[in-house]
Amino acid sequence: MRHTIISTTLTLVLSAGLSAPIAAEPSAEDAYEYRESIMTALKGHAGAISRQARGLAGDSDYVANHAKAIANLGTELHTIFQEGSNIEDSEALAAIWDKPEKFAEALANAEDAMAALGEVADGGDMEAIGNAFMNVGEACKGCHDSFREEHEHEH
Amino acid sequence: MGIGRVSTATLLLLTAIPASAADAAISPGEYLIYAGGCVDCHTADDDDAIPLAGGRAVESPFGTFYSPNITPDFDTGIGAWSDDDFVDAFWEGKDPDGDHYYPAFPYTSYTGVSREDLLAMKAYLFSLDPVDKTTPEHELAWYISTRLAAGAWKMKNFDSERFVPDPDQPEQWNRGAYLVRHLGHCGECHTPRGSLGALQHDRELAGNPNGPDEEKIPNITPDRKDGIGKWSTSDIEYFLQIGMFPDGDFVGSAMSAVIDHNTGKLTKEDRIAIAAYLKAIPPHLSTD
Repeated sequence: MRHTIISTTLTLVLSAGLSAPIAAEPSAEDAYEYRESIMTALKGHAGAISRQARGLAGDSDYVANHAKAIANLGTELHTIFQEGSNIEDSEALAAIWDKPEKFAEALANAEDAMAALGEVADGGDMEAIGNAFMNVGEACKGCHDSFREEHEHEH
Repeated sequence: MGIGRVSTATLLLLTAIPASAADAAISPGEYLIYAGGCVDCHTADDDDAIPLAGGRAVESPFGTFYSPNITPDFDTGIGAWSDDDFVDAFWEGKDPDGDHYYPAFPYTSYTGVSREDLLAMKAYLFSLDPVDKTTPEHELAWYISTRLAAGAWKMKNFDSERFVPDPDQPEQWNRGAYLVRHLGHCGECHTPRGSLGALQHDRELAGNPNGPDEEKIPNITPDRKDGIGKWSTSDIEYFLQIGMFPDGDFVGSAMSAVIDHNTGKLTKEDRIAIAAYLKAIPPHLSTD
């Protein structure tokens, strides 16, 4: 009973939090931080898939989860490049907004590749997942090449 | 969800890696053209550029170099070159008229490549359709704007020398050394340069804070802080194949093109040889 009350309370509190009014447009800082969160999530799943692909993840058999996570994250890529969000720490190049058509094409490539990865995730065809992941990597690299300032990578 | 299924999944994923250039039954010369990183520099930076027809601008502290057309066009390419002309370009840094190349053409590394490999590369280039394309003249600082300056630089900074395998090292290390030091010319970007642009060979691959196109080129020695000492052989091999860092991020920058046109097209065996060599060189801190 006590458990139920706590759960209910928690649910209400969380719902209230989630349904709080949201500002029409995030600040440049918030837009940047949100983009960083999505990119960090993407690279986490990509790293996990690659380690499974290389046989470095022991008996882990969760590759489909990571593939679907990438596909899900991919659907919002086009929403996370708010104009003006290339603040000081951002590696986003001005070309993102200066060459909108070229950027839209690069983003669409990434979103398509990620969607394709999601489509084969559940089928159990591991060869298809591997190939789809390679295409995702190609799309990520292509976009970073033209639209991201290359930073000093943490080794 | 037995172990059997997991293992099969892993195996299938491993075999899902796209066929490398060598697996696709390409000629040895074409493979070497990829391994030599020729396509990237000798192809203009336009979406519809014809591969190897030159015209790519390479910014350097000394000015802008434009890569030449190396298709077999008789007038604007290398169609008139003999075998010896071709070999001399790589071994001696000279064009068929005896003029000195600027070291933007990395003969300083290519000098170690074997004649057999060079002639295989030439055979492949001569199998391509000739492209009639004149490329722009270099735009250089006054003090190096004559080929005589290139010759003076060469006398001070260059020895024509073939790669000789080190009998004390395993075959894999030697293959990696040949690919990294000579054919792949990794040091041309990754090794710091002293005054007048001479490579600091005693700091091999320690990074270049002022690399081509004003990029800061990373330290790839096994130093654990500044270099890639924490990367496993698999991490390096995988990075060279698809451009993914160990943390799952994907590379951009000039290295993205190197992966597309060079290391990504090599056999896995060659990429592992490169990784083995990179793990065996002395660690260095980065140059500030």
